[in-house]
Amino acid sequence: MLNYLFRRLNLLLITALILSIIAFIISLWSNQARTVQDVNVFILYLDYMGNILQGQWGISLINQKSHMQNGLIAFSSTLELCLVALLTSVIIGIPLGIFSGIYRNGILDYTIMSIALIGLALPAFWLAIMLIMLPITFDMGLPVDGNISPIYDIPMITGFQLIDSLLASDLYNLAAFVDRLTHLILPSVVLSFFLTSEIIRLTRYSISQVMKSNYIKAANTKGLTVIQIVFRHVLKNALPPIIPQLRLQLNTIISIAMTVEIVFDAQGSGVWLLTSIKAGDYLALSAAVIIISGFILLSSIVIDILQMFISPTTRKMLYADK
Amino acid sequence: MLINNEFNEQKIQSPLHYIWSIFLKNNFAVFAMWVGIGLILISLFADVIVLYSPFLQDPEHLLSAPYWIEGGTTEHLFGTDDLGRDTLARLIKGFQFTFGGALVITCAITFVGAIIGSTAALTRGLKASVLHHLLDALLTIPTLLIAFILIVLFDPSYQNALIAVSLSLLPQFIRGIYNTIDSQLNKQYVVALQLDGATNIRLLRFGIYPNILEPIVTLVNRIFTMAILEIATLGFLGFGTQSPDIELGKLIADSIDLSYLSPWLIILPGLLIFIIIMVVNIFTEGLRHAIIQGED
Amino acid sequence: MALLDIRNLSIDITTAQGTTRVVDKVSLHIVDGSIHGFFGESGSGKSLIASAILGLHNPNWKVTVDRMFLDSKDLTKLSPSERRKIMGKEIAMIFQHPRSYLDPSKKIFPQINEVLPDISLKNRIFDKIKHDRKKTSTQQIKALFHKVGIQNDQAVLQSYPHQLSEGICQKIMIAMAIANNPRLIIADEPTNAMEAVTQAQILRLLYKLNRLHSTTILLLSNNFGSICHLSDFITLIYCGQAVESGSYKKITESPMHPYTEAMIKTTLNFNESIIHKSQLYTLQGNIPSSNQIPIGCRLGPRCPRAQRTCVKNPDTSNYKGHTVRCHYPTLDEKTA
Repeated sequence: MLNYLFRRLNLLLITALILSIIAFIISLWSNQARTVQDVNVFILYLDYMGNILQGQWGISLINQKSHMQNGLIAFSSTLELCLVALLTSVIIGIPLGIFSGIYRNGILDYTIMSIALIGLALPAFWLAIMLIMLPITFDMGLPVDGNISPIYDIPMITGFQLIDSLLASDLYNLAAFVDRLTHLILPSVVLSFFLTSEIIRLTRYSISQVMKSNYIKAANTKGLTVIQIVFRHVLKNALPPIIPQLRLQLNTIISIAMTVEIVFDAQGSGVWLLTSIKAGDYLALSAAVIIISGFILLSSIVIDILQMFISPTTRKMLYADK
Repeated sequence: MLINNEFNEQKIQSPLHYIWSIFLKNNFAVFAMWVGIGLILISLFADVIVLYSPFLQDPEHLLSAPYWIEGGTTEHLFGTDDLGRDTLARLIKGFQFTFGGALVITCAITFVGAIIGSTAALTRGLKASVLHHLLDALLTIPTLLIAFILIVLFDPSYQNALIAVSLSLLPQFIRGIYNTIDSQLNKQYVVALQLDGATNIRLLRFGIYPNILEPIVTLVNRIFTMAILEIATLGFLGFGTQSPDIELGKLIADSIDLSYLSPWLIILPGLLIFIIIMVVNIFTEGLRHAIIQGED
Repeated sequence: MALLDIRNLSIDITTAQGTTRVVDKVSLHIVDGSIHGFFGESGSGKSLIASAILGLHNPNWKVTVDRMFLDSKDLTKLSPSERRKIMGKEIAMIFQHPRSYLDPSKKIFPQINEVLPDISLKNRIFDKIKHDRKKTSTQQIKALFHKVGIQNDQAVLQSYPHQLSEGICQKIMIAMAIANNPRLIIADEPTNAMEAVTQAQILRLLYKLNRLHSTTILLLSNNFGSICHLSDFITLIYCGQAVESGSYKKITESPMHPYTEAMIKTTLNFNESIIHKSQLYTLQGNIPSSNQIPIGCRLGPRCPRAQRTCVKNPDTSNYKGHTVRCHYPTLDEKTA
């Protein structure tokens, strides 16, 4: 167990080192004109890392704020979008995936899988434009651009504007919260299309693998009904393996979220990077590598460790390794 | 027909043959396969097929609608854009870039990824460990960010977009191949082959690859789907193909200002991307199904 | 009296290469309170028949049966939910590779708890309030474990299946099978891939269950020697055809089918002296694969007694409860 934790920590350190080198190369390249050529690269790297650790990530050319501040604000907005989309996708996707895995190759399965396929095949940016163009968007009064209407001035506390607007409820009486929510609806719908189809696919595969296994056959001989079998034996075995699979998709999900943000002009990391690049401010890219990849790295390791505590089957695999 | 099969004799088909015969029974998938072949042919001979040059401007018809909509002409089946260029021709040309690029990327990734993935799975020690950590690091960078970085380091162009997309997809493919091979390595038939003293190549050829057809098909399909989506996304964001070349994502971006005057200019390229991905996915889904059934 | 009566059970499996009849008109007649040995080589369709009895077969298989009665209940006419009830209460099954038949993500306790007879929603809610459900069920489980010979029950109950040995897992499976006092236990090669000591323990356990509780046991095996002395009745199956069926005494003393004779000869018997370095007896040839089954009598090409009529499918003939499916059975004065 301790060995496993140690190995994860080791992975974390080395991967973080590689990431920092990538970030360093970008920053080096963007400063190339200014750097003195005969200084040792190694010393420059140490210098860079020292600055990063002290929080001096450079000043943005767009709004004269620190890159760290800009990046964190932008990424928290992206993350908020991802979490909202993830929540809806899990609520829709997991039950559909379970149905389709249990009644594999039935009509229900084919219907659900076709829906999932359509969700995968629609390009996110195109879907976003289509939703903006749809008349129904205007009938429902859904806003199509920005994070929140500019009339609300929300003090930044957590960076997640949903929570911030709730905390600021004494200022606007939930109006800000509702406004933020309506701004989130369309982007998260677009993102959910991809995410839901992904979750359906993973759940279905996992469930159908479990349904084929011997212990489900044994549960059948015990005289349990299908519902009993699903709740007592299938779910506990089929759902945990989905999480690491979904974790591998984390970078795809974030990059789709960034695209969607650009289309909806929401102030997330997508727009931040795009404007920075267009302004020739390439240091933002190295800040983005540190923030976004750092987040993905940390969260995957936390997920790994949590999963080992939750699921006995993972622990079993651990033993078999030794 | 002369019936001489009196004893109901049957030949045992080879596994691939068997899988193929199952596949042929799935009408949807076979249809998708023919459409897919048609798409490949179109992308190869795009320049011959088009009726108009995609850059030819027709001042008589500006922003005309597709012919089935009021105001459309049969001269331009899918209408024209704001400079009077034929939409159908532009679609085919753009399709050539998107689809062809994705095809090239997929082939390259499959080839390179299979080699690196297999080597990584079969080696132990420092080399494998270095590769792993590198892959882990690359896997934590979102694909769009990788594309941004590469395009900033070099210049935005179609070729660089392709390189960026392949670099962002390659780690995923290697990781996928690595995991599937790794799960095969402790199977009894692989251990038996190893005990026979099989070389690594022989082990891969006879022990491992025949048994991981299904995951490979799934992975390749996924790489292709993501490649199409990402090439289009980069094109849309203006980091891919530069004018005057066209590409499906760029087509959408170019006409986004005209979305209310002529929504067809946006709808059609998106639908085309959708159709490509659907066709490829239905085909591979049929193939996967046949492989799974064949293995049972 | 027959507990389970099956007439002409056939199973057809359709593959892309055409339909194969993997089980051809097998009749089984299991007497209440007996151990019925069901012998066949691997791939002969034993497990298929067992799963068809339980109704667990793959939906792609076509199962046809003239008559399938458990006691006086027609299993073919029951609704799925009634059939489930019967499966839990009256028929239980034990498998080979028992560990894979236990849920890997749950400890043993909830898995056994689930099959205990009095588990109903009302009781469960009631017991949750009273907090003594665990105690009573622990006592029940302890009694069960005592019966099957598991000693440190507390430790076993708090383990996951992957922490236990195959032998213990099989004992747990047996404990789960007998929890409801079923009338019929179907044991599908229960001792396959186990050490000799564990094998003997499990078989003795099954024998004891049969004698003490008069539980009927259908014992599927591919090892003729190890099960035949346990069984009261024996059925032999070859390539999906039941070749001979009868009581232990009749089968071992006066076998009628050439296949049975061959099987008895192949069983090592150390009472007779075997000439040094002599060849042991086997049938010529191999078992045909399921898509190359010979027409007519399926033993045909390997049979030492085959004649021209053997290309026709033989009918089952019954000699005083000793059924045989052969054109030329060995008949002596007693049976004829």
